[in-house]
Amino acid sequence: MTNLAFYTLSALAIWSGWRVFRVDSMIRATFALMVSFICVGGIALLMSADYIGIATVFMMAVEMMVMGLFMVMFMMNPAGLNPMQMVHQHRFSIGAGIAAFIGLTVAVLATNLPNNPLPAGRDTLHNLGVELLGGSMLIFETAGVTLLATMVGAVVLSSRRGRFGDSDAGAVPPGLQPGGQPAGRKVEKSGGHGGHGGDGSHDMNMNMNMKGAPKSDDAPHKGHGKMPEEES
Amino acid sequence: MTFALALTTLILFLAIGIWIAAILDAVFYRSISGQGGVSVVSPFYAAAAHLSRQRLTTEAPDRLNWYLAIAGYLAIATIGLAVVPFGPETAVIGIKTSVVLWGACESLVVVLVFLHGWSPNSPLALIGAYRYVAIGLPIMLLSMFVLIAAALPARSLDLRDIVASQEGLWNVIRQPLGLPLFLLLGLSLTLRGPFDYADSADLAGGTSVEDSGANRAGWQVARLAMLVGFSAIAASTFLGGYLGPVLPGIVWLAIKTLILMAVVIGLSHLLARMPVARMLGLIWKFLLPIAFADLLLAGLVALA
Repeated sequence: MTNLAFYTLSALAIWSGWRVFRVDSMIRATFALMVSFICVGGIALLMSADYIGIATVFMMAVEMMVMGLFMVMFMMNPAGLNPMQMVHQHRFSIGAGIAAFIGLTVAVLATNLPNNPLPAGRDTLHNLGVELLGGSMLIFETAGVTLLATMVGAVVLSSRRGRFGDSDAGAVPPGLQPGGQPAGRKVEKSGGHGGHGGDGSHDMNMNMNMKGAPKSDDAPHKGHGKMPEEES
Repeated sequence: MTFALALTTLILFLAIGIWIAAILDAVFYRSISGQGGVSVVSPFYAAAAHLSRQRLTTEAPDRLNWYLAIAGYLAIATIGLAVVPFGPETAVIGIKTSVVLWGACESLVVVLVFLHGWSPNSPLALIGAYRYVAIGLPIMLLSMFVLIAAALPARSLDLRDIVASQEGLWNVIRQPLGLPLFLLLGLSLTLRGPFDYADSADLAGGTSVEDSGANRAGWQVARLAMLVGFSAIAASTFLGGYLGPVLPGIVWLAIKTLILMAVVIGLSHLLARMPVARMLGLIWKFLLPIAFADLLLAGLVALA
């Protein structure tokens, strides 16, 4: 029974991990990665790591949701539904993939993995708490503060208001011809619709991430399609 | 109680709960608008009407995620109810970290509601999905603080221990800030009233605008199931769950669940709605500090 659960969860984890690179949308990739992590959490549960297993599920659910949102926000693909190329820098990533696979395989084969079943009724939760707030406290607190700083940075980056004024102030879409008039709707400065001024610049460049975007872009597919595993 | 009996109880509890929730919802709505005439079979008529309708679809939807979102929402609601103890030491999912499991359910609700709005490939549904994530994530932080505070007196993350720790004094009195904050989370989890930024009328139905036929029936049932699951969790965490004199534990749990269900439905029809930006301000600047205070008080009491 446990074996069956283990193999099912492992297969699903690997399959959804593979799907991350085969789907054509940021949202699908994000949630495929989430399914993969949830399966790993399930495997942790099988290993009697009650807290870690379930905490993985809820951390990953929140994290992937936030990550999907930020990716869509930063990459101007408003829905995440537009098909886009999710893999890039092919040669480098193939090399990195092979190197990582060999490294991890060697690590797994070379490590002397423990084979002692947990005695029934042992309170893993209590032990984990003692570990977190005891010997490893410095490590976890350092990681925690670092992550907090990252979060503050992400909020600052995504905020519209900044030290030098609004981030979209003065932003204009690129011209239709080199050096020509900016594309898109002209914003009327009549003052009659005070709340709506400046919205005209938001729809710029929505096509940049789409498959088959015009090749006249300066750097097609470069800097886009950030791979989700960078955050985890 | 054996496991099979607990499972049967769970299914009955859920089915009857959904039915009563649907009736209560109609009663509140009609009494506020000055109408009468709610029949106890009207939810079945509504379900039959949905099921007999044609299932429409949109252009290029993500069908897999669409169905997964509806089925997953119902599944999450059922798992939520499954961690609720029906009696001493009796819960369908009896693990040491059941409160954390409920936390995982809460966070998956945000993901599933988002997917439900994202997958139809339709603008209003998509707006509902993004709006819901913006509200759903901070309100979930709030519930984490409240739940940790409730777990402190029990010195355990097991919902069975949390209920048992309320033998002398219910958490609703011991931690007066907890239940009101948790009820706001309930409004958000069940997509109701002022926290319904996903399926609200201002987006013509939001994430469920493209649902029709059996899909729509399934989504509405899942929402009501989530209401039942949430109310049972809240009743166990704050109102002492199955604890009570004379009557059997399951009856007490049902009564308390029913009361909380009625409160949530009442709030959803009575509280005013806010624009998203204002609601975000309210949550981050006002409700979250209150949740901190709740946790701080619980911690100080635990130390004293």
